[in-house]
Amino acid sequence: MKRLCLLAAAATLFAAPAFAEDTITVGFTDSQTGPLNVDSLGQQRGYEFWRDEVNAAGGIKVGDKKYTVKFVSYDDQSVGGRVQQLYTRLINEDHAQFLFSPYSSGLTAPAAVISEQYGKIMIDSGGAEEKPFELGNKYLFMVITSASHYLSGAVEALKAKDPHAKIAMVYSDDPFSKAVLTAAKQQALAAGLQVVMDESYSPSTTDFGPIVNKIISSNADAFMGGGHYSDGATLARQMHDQKAGMKWISILVAPADDKFGELGPAALGVTVPSQWELQVNYKPQFGPTTAEFAKAFQDKFHAKADYHAASGYTSGVVLQHAIEQAGSIDPEKVAAALNATDITTFFGHVKFMTDPGHHGLQEAHKMVLAQWQNTDGKLGRQVVWPLEAKSADLIYPISASQ
Amino acid sequence: MLRRPFFWIIALVIAAFAVLPSIGNNVELRESLVLAAVYITLASNLNIMLGYTGYINFGSIVFFGLGGYICIWLVYAHSWPLAASLLAAGVGVSFLALIFGLGILRLRGAFFALSTIGIVEGVQAFAENFTPWGGSSGIYISPQVFQPLGGSAQALWVIYFLLIAVMGASLYLSYAIKTSKFGLGLLAIGQNEDAAAILGVPTPRYKALAYSASAFLPAIAGGLYFFKGAFIQPSDAFDLTLSTEAIVICMLGGQGTVAGVALGAYLYEELRGYLLTSSTFANFQLTIAGVLLLLIVLFFPSGLMGFLYSRFPRLKRVLE
Repeated sequence: MKRLCLLAAAATLFAAPAFAEDTITVGFTDSQTGPLNVDSLGQQRGYEFWRDEVNAAGGIKVGDKKYTVKFVSYDDQSVGGRVQQLYTRLINEDHAQFLFSPYSSGLTAPAAVISEQYGKIMIDSGGAEEKPFELGNKYLFMVITSASHYLSGAVEALKAKDPHAKIAMVYSDDPFSKAVLTAAKQQALAAGLQVVMDESYSPSTTDFGPIVNKIISSNADAFMGGGHYSDGATLARQMHDQKAGMKWISILVAPADDKFGELGPAALGVTVPSQWELQVNYKPQFGPTTAEFAKAFQDKFHAKADYHAASGYTSGVVLQHAIEQAGSIDPEKVAAALNATDITTFFGHVKFMTDPGHHGLQEAHKMVLAQWQNTDGKLGRQVVWPLEAKSADLIYPISASQ
Repeated sequence: MLRRPFFWIIALVIAAFAVLPSIGNNVELRESLVLAAVYITLASNLNIMLGYTGYINFGSIVFFGLGGYICIWLVYAHSWPLAASLLAAGVGVSFLALIFGLGILRLRGAFFALSTIGIVEGVQAFAENFTPWGGSSGIYISPQVFQPLGGSAQALWVIYFLLIAVMGASLYLSYAIKTSKFGLGLLAIGQNEDAAAILGVPTPRYKALAYSASAFLPAIAGGLYFFKGAFIQPSDAFDLTLSTEAIVICMLGGQGTVAGVALGAYLYEELRGYLLTSSTFANFQLTIAGVLLLLIVLFFPSGLMGFLYSRFPRLKRVLE
């Protein structure tokens, strides 16, 4: 065995130099410091995991050659001005041929000013807002579902269960949550549902007692809202403690975290829109399956993969697919290949809009809706919507799960 | 003023900022100098309140953010040309500062400092709820707005030169105020406000004018900065961190001095930029920055300029 290892080591030593000069450099910034540092980590891990996997498999195939992937990345301090400085550096000094986006829409927009100017392709997996894609950018591509479709599945599923449901919408006063709930309200009204309460709260709110009382007195059947982890979890707990008696609860972000299970009975029945879940079982045409991805990720990071990691990884997979399809690393050819991309990966279906008013926006990927359920006495998330991706039946009303 | 060497030193610095990145189209140097110029502008203008008048303004960032908002909004929603939008931002914010200033400058010490934070919070809450400004998701502008400036590549150069002009104007403004009768009045207020009032310095008016004057150029710089990023949102525009950094820079460089504050801002930004991108230090850049700041505060309490003055007393005549 030892000898075998030595042989393998020697082989890689000899094999490596043959590819050493053929590298593709991908540049990006992540927010290691500043307000986005926690949220940015999953995406960064996804990027790095993809690089390691693709290099372990020999690299990206371009024509007859194989290119290994090299990363250059910096800490952008979650500051837009710094992002522009660093992307300029990535392109000019580090000669990055392709770019990944920073985390969040607010940092992606300034980065796009630089990437577009140099005609560099940038794959976005961390900013869900649509506005940067309505400005006529040519080289910016989003692999995730945009903010206005976050709750579309929840609205559809609720309508299927109760076509006359009354919804209370209460959400954090931040750009993302506001964009999601504004779109959800329109979709709910169009679907014939009623919105009986529409209110935002400051992101630093810690006591939702008065808000929950208001929800109760609005006679709503369903709740949709939340924002980040702490406020979303507190809302769920207080609605349970104050016996709000909601038949349906959809909360953004918080229930997608495994920690949410610590709420116990308050978590039961809560649904969360998610870009991706471990139970999602798409048949990939390219790249690993969900099971392969999840296992390898768990082995490497000793943590369960979340959707930020999955979408970060998908940025790499989609870029790799486009480069291999184009048979070239010329940005124009790869951009054309991205425009023509129409594939299913473990993350779901990926296809970009190509009309100038929405260029690069994701149009095929669908959010799933996960619900906290008791399965064999264990509390966990199950995919309940869309029906073709479900791992368990949707429980409605929530009281039926107790 | 023209006879003093310091006037020409400022001119030399501005020329260096303008010329150095232009040699060989060095965009990377330009990008690192952009942030340095922003810091120099913010710190120099803060110095008028902090260094001369002795009033700690924690909320100087509100001028920058509000200027950014007014400029971006005029460009985006009303298709104003950049120059007019910038000017409107500067004049508008200065005017608002004058009105605010007449109110809050009746307060002193900690009460004044607190009220400046209150203003930032208030203005941020306004921006978050003001629909024409995009509420909390802010305003994204299309790269098309760079077309009148010759496309985005050239536009970034134009914005840079404008920013250098604003930086230069900030340095001259600081210097001009310091050497004027108005400046002497401010310094007197900084020493002992009651005594200054008894000696005939119109303190309320002087303070409000200083507050308003220190708002004009940061507002224009904010307009340029956010125009360059093609995006503005409340949490970026009114980020108190930048305010605090400006205060730290004034302390480091030597408050009340024009050269010290500018040098402090430049060194501060270049140090941060270097640590962030250095392959050796990138992973613990915050630790190093923190330790350095601590050492400077411990060993050079009167700032960089204070240290230089004590070593080379003649320098006082050259670098003011």
